[in-house]
Amino acid sequence: MSRIDQTFAFEIKKYGAKDFSTCFNCGNCTAVCGLTDKNTSFPRLFIRQGMLGQKEEILQSKELWLCYACGECSETCPRQAGPGDYMAALRRYAIASYEPTGITKLMFKSNPAFIVMTLLFAMILGFFLFTLKPHYEVSRWLFTILPFAVIHNMGLVIFSITGLSIAWGLVTMYLKLRKNGNKEGKTAGTFIKPLLALVNEIATMNRYKTCDEEEDSFWKTKPWYTQPWFIHWSIMWGFIGLLLATVLDFMFKDPATSIWWPSRILGTIAGILMIYGATLAINYRLKKVTNAYSETRLADWTFIWFLWIAGITGFWMELSVTFGADLLINHLVFIIHTIISMELVLLFAFSKFAHAAYRPLALFLFFRENGK
Amino acid sequence: MEEKPKKERIGVYICHCGGNISDYVDVAQIRDIVRSEDGVVVSKNVMFACADSNQKEMIKDIEEGKLDAIVVASCSPKLHLHTFRNVALRGGINPYNYTQVNIREQCSWAHSDTPLEASEKAAGLIRAGIRKVTFSEALDNIEVSSTRAVVVIGAGVSGMRAAIDLAKMGNQVYLIEKENSVGGNVAKWKDLFITGQQGTAIVDALSMKIRELTNIKLFTNAVIDKVSGSLGNFFVNVRVNDEILNLKAGAILVSTGFDSYQPVDGEFGYGKSPAVMTLPGFRQLVDKSKGAMFVDNRRISSIAYIYCVGTRQTKGENKYCSRVCCTAAIHSSLLVHEKFRDVQTYHLYRDIRTYGKQEILYEQSSGNGDIYLKYDEKTPPIVDTTGNKVLIKIKDELTRRQEMEVEADLVVLVTGMVPRSDNKAIAELLKIPVGNDKFFNEIHPKLRPVETVINGVFLGGSCQGPKNISESVQSSLSAAVKINALTKNPTIMLEPIIARVNFNACTWCGKCAEVCEYDAIHPIGMFGKTVASVNEATCKGCGICAPICPDDAIDIAQYSNNEIEGMIDGFLESIELKEAGKTGSEGPEEEIVLMKDMPRIWRQITASLEVNSKTIPALAKELGLGPELITWHLMTMNKYSLVEADGLDDSDEYYSYKLKNHQYVQD
Repeated sequence: MSRIDQTFAFEIKKYGAKDFSTCFNCGNCTAVCGLTDKNTSFPRLFIRQGMLGQKEEILQSKELWLCYACGECSETCPRQAGPGDYMAALRRYAIASYEPTGITKLMFKSNPAFIVMTLLFAMILGFFLFTLKPHYEVSRWLFTILPFAVIHNMGLVIFSITGLSIAWGLVTMYLKLRKNGNKEGKTAGTFIKPLLALVNEIATMNRYKTCDEEEDSFWKTKPWYTQPWFIHWSIMWGFIGLLLATVLDFMFKDPATSIWWPSRILGTIAGILMIYGATLAINYRLKKVTNAYSETRLADWTFIWFLWIAGITGFWMELSVTFGADLLINHLVFIIHTIISMELVLLFAFSKFAHAAYRPLALFLFFRENGK
Repeated sequence: MEEKPKKERIGVYICHCGGNISDYVDVAQIRDIVRSEDGVVVSKNVMFACADSNQKEMIKDIEEGKLDAIVVASCSPKLHLHTFRNVALRGGINPYNYTQVNIREQCSWAHSDTPLEASEKAAGLIRAGIRKVTFSEALDNIEVSSTRAVVVIGAGVSGMRAAIDLAKMGNQVYLIEKENSVGGNVAKWKDLFITGQQGTAIVDALSMKIRELTNIKLFTNAVIDKVSGSLGNFFVNVRVNDEILNLKAGAILVSTGFDSYQPVDGEFGYGKSPAVMTLPGFRQLVDKSKGAMFVDNRRISSIAYIYCVGTRQTKGENKYCSRVCCTAAIHSSLLVHEKFRDVQTYHLYRDIRTYGKQEILYEQSSGNGDIYLKYDEKTPPIVDTTGNKVLIKIKDELTRRQEMEVEADLVVLVTGMVPRSDNKAIAELLKIPVGNDKFFNEIHPKLRPVETVINGVFLGGSCQGPKNISESVQSSLSAAVKINALTKNPTIMLEPIIARVNFNACTWCGKCAEVCEYDAIHPIGMFGKTVASVNEATCKGCGICAPICPDDAIDIAQYSNNEIEGMIDGFLESIELKEAGKTGSEGPEEEIVLMKDMPRIWRQITASLEVNSKTIPALAKELGLGPELITWHLMTMNKYSLVEADGLDDSDEYYSYKLKNHQYVQD
């Protein structure tokens, strides 16, 4: 038996879902969601749990992470309570709760804090960059104010903190999600199958395709390459491809190399994919084409714009290297590219980016529980 | 028994009703058999007796044949009794010398699988009708004088509002109120929902208007002592303090209102703690508090409303829903949200019924952050008042029946409406019925919602059933208008189907007066002896006095001994019917045409109309079929938009018809 705690609803509203208390439990959202089956009852049940303050039930749930934010539920809600936005807010809340530092909480709840933290990290990264190019004049000037070692070590510390945070967060999530799992003992061997199912989902986005599939849905008549599932696929695989290409370059070759090198080709194709996806996503959010894109918070804008800028500056650099121009502007672009890319990596644990770690874990556990 | 005059020129019309009757009952044979009955001079089959053309024909028959009575064997009198009474009237026959025999609902439709037996039954019924009308008497409607005054019982919002309109329409109104002051339940409330007006303000405004109108006399501290008389002339005795006033009125309006349910001791913690109160009590707390609410010096920062208390009890007395409480409770929570800060509200409900325009309140309340929890009647919330705060355990249907615990400073029981305890007493005084739910009963909830079975006694407001203020006023105003329609005429017409006393035979034993439920029979002196006399206005013609009279001195008009005995004899006479094929047509060829033959005849008609538009007689002549048959088919085709009228013919007698939808012509 749980005591009702109405303060939880106030807390959640700070993460973005301001209207959800008008929900009167009709269940339309659950009925219309293509991802619910007889065992899952979202989003209605989540709204109920939120209203009654059942924090632990929410943090222990895997179903929260099945949602792809298509917005169909918000479209159907007769009270305009925004269940889709509420689910997104819950995910922000979960990310903020799993990691131990409290930075995420701060950044999600307060826009000024978000800006300050981002700029702070940018500054630290910028300084760290200069330690990698110690012969620059600016670097030498910097080292007179802050010792090289301090900057270098601080950078390393920050990187470790972010790594540890995400690791801690994943472990916390695993421990919590396990509590809500199948009470029947897990048999050995239920690892490969769910893992394969997870890889399949990441590769094909099949579940995402089932979202928003009504006859009269906005996307039904649009070409597949403009549909949200593909936009996400291209951003995700674009980023993964770019990450891989950059790491390979870093390990085997000097970055300034021929454009026809295999890792360069991978980088180019991945880059095109990511910029394509990010451009369309930004466009959808600006135009609010469907209910899914009606609420874009600062964290959402930052994430997508950073990806886009990193992609564009990356291409700029590739072109400047190919045509061999050694202009000042190219150096600036390089700095911007590096800072933004590093910022993304740094903020991995503390921002929307973290879903890339939490969602697969939740999906994996969900598939395992449901015998896939 | 003296010889009663018999009719000698009776007209009998047996209807086909399209094929509804004639497809099962052998109307042609019966027509021929009936022709030889005593007193019958006209016996006909008609396609549709109610049709205008047939009505005209009947009137022609009455005038030319000098008929003294008519019988129509057709559908139920509920449909066309008045139609044919009117025909009789227009033809010059007293409308009560007409009788309708139901050979459709009670014969052809009921026995469609045994047509021979149906025909025998129909023949019997028609014979009975003929015998009845043989002995029926000419009757005139009863006129009673009317008093242009109305007694309104109950000066709540319903009663006062109706009184005002009645007075404005020209009636003298006696407004009787049991309590010391007017306004009833509404006077106890301040902010009302939707408009935000104060209940006390509404009552004051009405009260002022009543004082202005000189033809309203208001009596407070007054109760009804005795009621007698009938529509147009009620004698109402009212006791005011110790005096008795004798009032005379043409009609009475009952608007006594309702009571709030009083929870039993221990029900949801009621009576066990000052922190548990009913909604009316809670409203008083809200009205008199400023800034914050306190109970027992404790500041109220959380309230739990428990809905459906004392109402919607499937196993209890009050099975109905009280309609207004959901709205009242949610409205109260909105008021609290406005007036006081930081009060967390919980609604423990079964269903939310903020119907109509009140739905807006529900959405507002959700938006304010109120938490709604739903319980099932079988597992009601358990209230524990032993601690500092009240703890309520509820199995929440919306969270998969998990047991949740609610902590609250105050519990408000949202109680329903119950009928007043003095309803039974008033019902006895006025002889109006109460329902199973102990509210006053209307005649028909949809078609006659403000009238009672007692002529002249009307209902208005929540004494008839749970209503909000708007609905109560609507109902009492409706009653006021109906009352005025009666009282504005100096006389009132009543149906003459009532009891009559044969003064010669009556020896006044008093038995009839004893059994009369309506107190309509009283002894009078006549011809030097005491005899029974029937009050024409009060008698309802129920007939209970007739069989009890040992001297056979009382009977009911239209149901006299001759008529009833004649009907029984007529029905039981044996009849020999030849088992003929089902027939539905007349005409020299004796064409047997059934409904399934429609297509053939339709094709013939269509072919003919393709050439040019024709009238019914013209079609009948051309196709060699009876005009009734053509009428029936053509009217059906008209209904299905295959033909349409094309204007009157030259002699302005018949419409000609043309084809409308040519698609039908297929083979």
